[in-house]
Amino acid sequence: MASSHTPRRTGFAGVAETVITLWALFGGVVLIALVVVNIYAVLSGFAGRRFSGDFELTEMFAAVAAFCFLPYTQLSDANVTADIFTSRASPRWVALFKLVAALVALLFALLLLWRMYYGLNDQRDYRYTTTILQVPIWWAFVPILVSLALLALAAAINFVEYGRSMMRGGQA
Amino acid sequence: MTDPTTLGFLGLLVLLILIALRMPIGYAMILVGGVGITLLNGPALMLNQLKTLAYGQFSVYDLSVIPMFVLMGALATKAGFSQQLFRFTNAWLGWMRGGTAMAGIAACAGFGAVSGSSLATASTMGKVALPELRRYRYSGALATGSLAAGGVLGILIPPSVVLIIYAIIVEANIVTMFMAAFIPGILAVIFFLLTIAIYVLIVPEAGPAGGSKDRAEFLSATLGVIPVLVIFGLVLGGIYGGLYNPTPAAAVGVFLVWLFGTAQRRLSFGAIRESLMETASTTGMIFLILLGAELMKIYMSRIGLPQAAASWIGTSGLEPMTVLILLLLALILLGCLMDSLSMILLVIPFFWPVLVELNGGLYQGAEGSGFGMSTNELKIWFGILALIVVELGLITPPVGMNVFVISALSKDTPMMETFKGVMPFFAAEIIRVVLILVFPAIVLWLPRYLAG
Amino acid sequence: AGLAAAQEYTFKLHQPLSAQAPAQTQMLEPWARQVEENSGGRVKIEIFPAMTLGGRPPELINQVRDGVVDLIWTVNGYTPGLFPRSEVFELPNVFEGDLSAANLAMHDMLDDLREDYRGTEVMFLHVHAGNGIQIAGREIRSPADLSGVSLRTPSRTGAWVIEALGATPVAMPVPELPQALQRGTVAGALIPWEIIPALQIQEQTDYQIEGENNYRFGTTVFQVSMNQARWDGLPEDIQQAFRDASGPEWWAQVGEIWRGTDDFGIGVATGAGNQHIVLSAEETQAFRDALEPVVERWVAEVSGQGIDAAGLVEKARTLIAEHSAGN
Ligand code: NA
Ligand code: NA
Repeated sequence: MASSHTPRRTGFAGVAETVITLWALFGGVVLIALVVVNIYAVLSGFAGRRFSGDFELTEMFAAVAAFCFLPYTQLSDANVTADIFTSRASPRWVALFKLVAALVALLFALLLLWRMYYGLNDQRDYRYTTTILQVPIWWAFVPILVSLALLALAAAINFVEYGRSMMRGGQA
Repeated sequence: MTDPTTLGFLGLLVLLILIALRMPIGYAMILVGGVGITLLNGPALMLNQLKTLAYGQFSVYDLSVIPMFVLMGALATKAGFSQQLFRFTNAWLGWMRGGTAMAGIAACAGFGAVSGSSLATASTMGKVALPELRRYRYSGALATGSLAAGGVLGILIPPSVVLIIYAIIVEANIVTMFMAAFIPGILAVIFFLLTIAIYVLIVPEAGPAGGSKDRAEFLSATLGVIPVLVIFGLVLGGIYGGLYNPTPAAAVGVFLVWLFGTAQRRLSFGAIRESLMETASTTGMIFLILLGAELMKIYMSRIGLPQAAASWIGTSGLEPMTVLILLLLALILLGCLMDSLSMILLVIPFFWPVLVELNGGLYQGAEGSGFGMSTNELKIWFGILALIVVELGLITPPVGMNVFVISALSKDTPMMETFKGVMPFFAAEIIRVVLILVFPAIVLWLPRYLAG
Repeated sequence: AGLAAAQEYTFKLHQPLSAQAPAQTQMLEPWARQVEENSGGRVKIEIFPAMTLGGRPPELINQVRDGVVDLIWTVNGYTPGLFPRSEVFELPNVFEGDLSAANLAMHDMLDDLREDYRGTEVMFLHVHAGNGIQIAGREIRSPADLSGVSLRTPSRTGAWVIEALGATPVAMPVPELPQALQRGTVAGALIPWEIIPALQIQEQTDYQIEGENNYRFGTTVFQVSMNQARWDGLPEDIQQAFRDASGPEWWAQVGEIWRGTDDFGIGVATGAGNQHIVLSAEETQAFRDALEPVVERWVAEVSGQGIDAAGLVEKARTLIAEHSAGN
């Protein structure tokens, strides 16, 4: 798990990095909301009048938080890779491998953004809701689509960076 | 149409090649699964499934504990839990020959009780214990080897991300799985401590005795660990004692660690922010693997590999026990290449139905079953065995994540030394697996007892 | 062409439960084999249990609509509010306890319910034997006994039933239930007896409670349906093979199958020493009265979507009564 420390980027990439980091922090806030909902449910249970909606809110919040984290995971290069087989490869080759991986991430993010946009429409048109609080599920899809757009942005930044690095023969 | 076995192995081969070429495992599985399904059944099907697949995978109630336990572990590190634990274990054990390494193991076990991840445990305790081990001139092999192995306790001692995922796949109860992991986890700690004791008997200069602590330090180290133990007790005790299920327990844990860290003035706004960012990258990594594994599963189901494998094994005439041992060996081998989470996600959906079949069906009781236990108990027993063997992958070459983590922290020890240092612990783990295979009660006793 | 003929039409049937669940062994497999036989071996239906084709149970309906799979068996309640018209059959005092009658009434009303299933061709619909109260520690004889008690709800109409009885509904995935009962996260659950063996509910509860003459507190609707485009593309004789296997006799027989699994379930509970309480006529009436507002609530809610909800209630009640009398 190479959670390598990325130097702070400048220019457009710098702005994008800030936005992606703030978006991950927003995911952190959703996670804290998840903590609060669950503690409230426990306390309400002890008080004898149990809060009913904790299960469905937990599912929804956890999913939203996880999506918010994806762009940051991409940009901070935190996805698990097995580096041992290529540890003797030249930096140029390593940069090429990373370039290909970033391209896969970019294409997948765009594909998922496109498909989940239709997913959102389905959820809204067919009125999917949670069981008890009847919260429309498409609401959760809105921050998710933002997350996927940012994931594409993060992968694009990586792609450009590894591309440049490859041109320079693998130097960062 | 090509037969399922060929297509299945082709998919697996491409996957392993992509992983070897540094493609992140999550994306490699997404690519192979997605392209495979598209080639089999056309793009329309894949495109339609993607409308909801990711949301469906991420919005699973039991998964919500993962980001919360990750956050709890990150906050606990910032709040100084790892130092408190090590100071405490070192005060009690450090005076012995090999004692500082033993203290590292014991502190890993303690930290494992709040952390769901083995890497987090290895890196946290590595940072704390390595300087101390170096101070007492421990050999590089024993110092780094014991900590790389100790990190595995992060996942062998509940809570454990891998165990949660296993429970979701086979529809086992998470709390039952946590209970089942408890005694084997304690056994692992004891075995690791014994391994160090034997190691320093054979190679005395590898682990010199540390200085004994004066009375004041002894008392202060012991008192300092009390809040840490109280928090563990409230979280895990609450789960085992039936106060709440793991999701609220994790929430309570996050809250208590935050409260303690804030009271100690260790959790500044910046520290909380850093903990959240760590949680973000780890959670994102885990959930991406979940999504990739689901696509691989769909590909494998569509080519009919699990069905073919189950019927092949069903008609092969092999003894159930032989099949189980073969499956465990396959996991150990795969562990040389893949991380534990990906392995569990990739192979359990195929292995489990085979075992169910061999045992006599999903509702099979102990009477007349293939493994001499009900399928419900088989689920628990196999889960713990699988958990142990996939975690062995963290300390075996060539890809041993824990070894990498500890090597990164200890620049002066060559990685080969660490792999050598880990071998005695690997042997201890193999003994433990054999014991659990022979005496399933090690796993099953506590869940049975607590269920009444 | 005889049975040996190559299978020209293969269908993937996706369902959420394990291959050993009675829903697969007693219902889906016999139905699939019947269709195959009717087609003279030209049809093959492969059943994929336990979500092996990917996704989570609530996604089944999307999967069949979008053609990701050809056929599904699913619980309408996985996606609350998506099948508003069919929900009439889940209501207490509309469904009382005769599941074959309810299935046949749904068959008769298929045209009224059709809009719920746009994008799919319904093969058959059915209900289970009805929700009973399964609870630990306290004997329930009247709605007042449930005041403030938390119960796991099977669906959104189930949640309304629980609220109407003065209790608190808690939604959770079914596999969570045994532990939730053990640690008192919920005191009990509103579910049929059929589920008892799979989850060993008898170990965590003391009482199984239902009204007289099998009176239950609402039920759940299930569907087996096919992707619309797939259906429309089938030749007449293949469609006929499916229709012949899914006629009214089959809908009634599915009622018998689920009655059987429910009876088996309560046998497991009483065999383990649990008390099976059948309320007296008066006690049952008290529940009936307490639950009538659920029907009104449902009518108000669903009328808001431009559906003649009151008309559906009326028609469903009439048809269920007719079919019950016919038995
Ligand atoms: Na742990
Ligand atoms: Na390894």
